[in-house]
Amino acid sequence: MKKLLIVSLILAPHIPVYAADTPIVGNVQTRCLITTDTNGVYGNPLPSKLSTTASDGGVVPVIRYDVTLADAYLAKITTPTAFSTSPTLTDSVTWTGSTAVSKTSDAGMSGYEAAKVTYGSTTQFDLTKAGSTWFSSSSTAVYGVSKSFVGGSYTAIVLAECIAK
Amino acid sequence: MRALLLLALLPFCNAVAHEMTPTYPTFSKSFMAGISVTTLNIFNKRKDVSYYEIGVFTDEWEPIPFVSEYTIIPMKYLDTVSFDVYVSNLSLSSVEFICSVSQVQAGATVSSKICSRVK
Repeated sequence: MKKLLIVSLILAPHIPVYAADTPIVGNVQTRCLITTDTNGVYGNPLPSKLSTTASDGGVVPVIRYDVTLADAYLAKITTPTAFSTSPTLTDSVTWTGSTAVSKTSDAGMSGYEAAKVTYGSTTQFDLTKAGSTWFSSSSTAVYGVSKSFVGGSYTAIVLAECIAK
Repeated sequence: MRALLLLALLPFCNAVAHEMTPTYPTFSKSFMAGISVTTLNIFNKRKDVSYYEIGVFTDEWEPIPFVSEYTIIPMKYLDTVSFDVYVSNLSLSSVEFICSVSQVQAGATVSSKICSRVK
């Protein structure tokens, strides 16, 4: 018994240890993540109008931008100017839309809304702070001159861009 | 009938996201003389998107010829794809942006576009 104990003590440092650390590796780098946070829905308050505003029975879509480095990206959001799918329409559709900052993760982002640049249907924001910014993008489509939209399914596309500076 | 015109603009059930890194890629010499290469990664957290189109542009958004394994990259949900972009050294100085744009399928209504900048 004693011999066995001595042999065990001598060999102990040489016995391999099978328990191993399991590393979890990660890489933090500058990035921009575009996320659709809230579904948008067109309400139909008038036969000739589709609108995402709440008072018209719609839901304004919310798109979130996450950036990990300050002053590295521009956010550009373009509201629809055409339907991607719709029934056949014989008259023109008048589009209006706007995009605004709805929420921020950092108080320093409070100036984004005042500093935004709008051209055509595109609104550009300079993401000067790291963190998350939520943008609400409303859209309205009016058919002809008080003409009723044809019954069916309508889809329109919002373009959300994140451009490195 | 008209009252039934309540239509989804952005019909997503869950938060969906698109990401491309690095923000500032750098080109290096490739295995071919006169051709430079850089590597980028796309992460697809959009269930409604299975393809992303790659583009290379000047600072005036003029397209620049390039070669990659795919111009339109097929991606499954939650996939991360690493891809190489090869550009001729003759046009390398003009390269400003490398962009990925989600290819919208029926039902998907947000197109996301992320552009990295070559400095």
